[in-house]
Amino acid sequence: MIPVAYNIRSLKVRKRNTIAAAAGLAMVVFVFSAVLMLAEGIERTLGRSGEDGVAILLRKGADAELSSGIDAAHLGIVAGAGEIATGSGGIPQALGEVVVVLAQPIARMPDQFANVTVRGVPDNVLPFRSSVKIIEGRAATPGTDEAIIGKAIRGRFAGMDLGQSFELRKNRPVKVVGIFDAQGSAYDSEVWADIDAVRSAFGRLGGLSSIRVRLQSPGRFDAFRARIETDRQLSMEVMRERSYYNKQSEGLALFITAMGMMIAVLFSTGAMIGAMITMYASIAHRKREIGTLLALGFSRISVLVSFLLESVLLALVGGGIGAVLALSMRWVSFSTLNMRTWSEITVSFEPTAGIVIGSLVFAGVMGIIGGLLPAIRASRMSPVTAMRD
Amino acid sequence: MSLALLARRNIRRNTVRTALTMVALAIAVVAFVAIRTVLTAWSVAADFAAKDRLATRHKMSFVISMPKHYADTVREVPGIQAATWMNWFGARDPRRPDSFFATIAVDTRTFLDVYDEVMLPEDQKTAWLETRNGAIVGEVLAKELGVQPGDRVTLQGTIFPGSWEFAVSGIYVPTRQTIDRMSLFFHWDYLNDSIEEARRDQIGWIVSRVDDPTAGTRISQEVDRIFDEREVPTLTQSERDLNLSFMGMVSGILKALDIVSIVIMLIMLMILGNTIAMGVRERTRENGVLRALGFSPGQIVVPIMGEAAAVGILSGLIGLVLAYPIVELGMGRWLEENMGAYFPYFRIDPVTAVTAVLLCGLLGVLASIPPAWGAARMKVTDALRQVG
Repeated sequence: MIPVAYNIRSLKVRKRNTIAAAAGLAMVVFVFSAVLMLAEGIERTLGRSGEDGVAILLRKGADAELSSGIDAAHLGIVAGAGEIATGSGGIPQALGEVVVVLAQPIARMPDQFANVTVRGVPDNVLPFRSSVKIIEGRAATPGTDEAIIGKAIRGRFAGMDLGQSFELRKNRPVKVVGIFDAQGSAYDSEVWADIDAVRSAFGRLGGLSSIRVRLQSPGRFDAFRARIETDRQLSMEVMRERSYYNKQSEGLALFITAMGMMIAVLFSTGAMIGAMITMYASIAHRKREIGTLLALGFSRISVLVSFLLESVLLALVGGGIGAVLALSMRWVSFSTLNMRTWSEITVSFEPTAGIVIGSLVFAGVMGIIGGLLPAIRASRMSPVTAMRD
Repeated sequence: MSLALLARRNIRRNTVRTALTMVALAIAVVAFVAIRTVLTAWSVAADFAAKDRLATRHKMSFVISMPKHYADTVREVPGIQAATWMNWFGARDPRRPDSFFATIAVDTRTFLDVYDEVMLPEDQKTAWLETRNGAIVGEVLAKELGVQPGDRVTLQGTIFPGSWEFAVSGIYVPTRQTIDRMSLFFHWDYLNDSIEEARRDQIGWIVSRVDDPTAGTRISQEVDRIFDEREVPTLTQSERDLNLSFMGMVSGILKALDIVSIVIMLIMLMILGNTIAMGVRERTRENGVLRALGFSPGQIVVPIMGEAAAVGILSGLIGLVLAYPIVELGMGRWLEENMGAYFPYFRIDPVTAVTAVLLCGLLGVLASIPPAWGAARMKVTDALRQVG
């Protein structure tokens, strides 16, 4: 075997070519892993919003909370189901909410509007969603024109920051009294206002968008679902909260992944060719060395492996740089449109060990493919003519 | 022996390397064109918005409906030519519940006056106006649903529950790119008669046409002022602003794609620069000989840059030739089938094509600057001493 140190030295000697080829590879790996992190971020944001053991009820045929409408009187009927867990004081854990979309001017560009999801919440919202914590200010007083907002939209929209106010209806300002942290779930991009204030502003009196219930155990879901869906009077459908949110993220994640894969395939071809050019040039320059190696008795296979290894090393250096750059995207958050709700959702890039390893493997594969032809050429040289060069 | 001949010979000097470089650049051009096309396809709606159309919706949210008689009020505002109203219906095809397309209930009496780019054969138009549950379908959506005029189609309501049956009266083809080919329009009356009393006589938004497009802003403010004095305040925007606000919501993705297309350019610069630099290094000796023969540094630099620009432009052209089938037939088809509602017109913009080729040439020149600079500055004696 030819020692690896030989390859490392060769890469060092041709610094410029090595850097240029590695930089190209680094950019490809950067884009590749950033895209995967973003798709992961979208799925996680929406995935985190769902809880095992919580079921969501919508009107039959509605595909999102926004398009669903339920008679508020049915909340009591649903809450009476035997599969529902009870909270303190033996009260069944059921949460009826109204979800609407509010057009708000963007803080930085006041003439531009974007949609923000406003959730009209009842008194028991914070006990029901125990993962949501108030991080600044305080909880809203029920029954008043006070609201709390998720940390991701803080300052993004006009009037949406601690102590500021926005209007749900003409001349009825709603004051932001608290900021909450929903652990990176979709709720982080929502405004939570009093259910009656939202109802009266949006003409939804006596209505609900959705009901959530906490089941005694996730296993009781099927029984609960059968009970509700067979009740003709209710005309609702029941989903596990997690699958509801997964469905919501499908379209966007699919688009970003498809776009990303297309870009990655095209990009990587370019980068592989870049590596190939570098390797060909480096082999042409090293004809004499290769001839010497062969004359010293190194086998053709070990020459091939050695050059392949060099190309993989080159790719891994590039891939490592790219992956590190992509990791720094962690602190970038990204507002995009959730196509199911027509409102904004803030997602961030989510690095996972799998993505980092996958990116490095991807770089290695690029190195192998890019280095294969040049390495074959090197191994098939005749030592005599190569030394004469 | 002229310098031009020398440049021609130099391009052919290392055929494998030049060919590889061109392939790499051509592929990068395909990626660049693809991304740019996604960006332009997305903004097509904003670029092609009708200049003389205004949309009026509830000020707080598009989910709040307005009383139907608001449309009559809008119609009477001076400068407004015609007004129509619509409701978002939001139905899905039960056979393919995940595909998204717009289903909109429109006031058929006035719809075609405001949307004069919706073209239908005269007999289909008549059929539509006469059939209570008649609907017209865009040509792309018709293909997706597999319907012909005269067929029936049953859709699942989301906001308005139940199964809704529509008679396909016609298939429309827009004459301008202001409206997509993925929508279904049906009679607002049919919807209004079919829902419970409490939800009746409500409309989602009003679209009006103005005589003088330059007065659009003034008229918008006038409309909003009138309604501001009533119980339901409105927001009136030109169609263009409306589309731009939608674009603003997807701006995150657009920005990311923008960045990616710049990264592609940088990668191209790296690959090209690397190739040119190698070629120049190999020719160090020859350049030394040329200088010794009395050629000026400038005369050495020009062929290097010319070579790079030529390789760039040629690769750009090859990339374009490849991009058309890949982007328009491959990607375009996929996007139209899966996301037709968001990408109504997925075509490579001529501006994109020209930009790509010119950028390639420019990149070539940029990439050749460092090696050319080095070649020009080199001492003749050093150059002649250099070994490979």
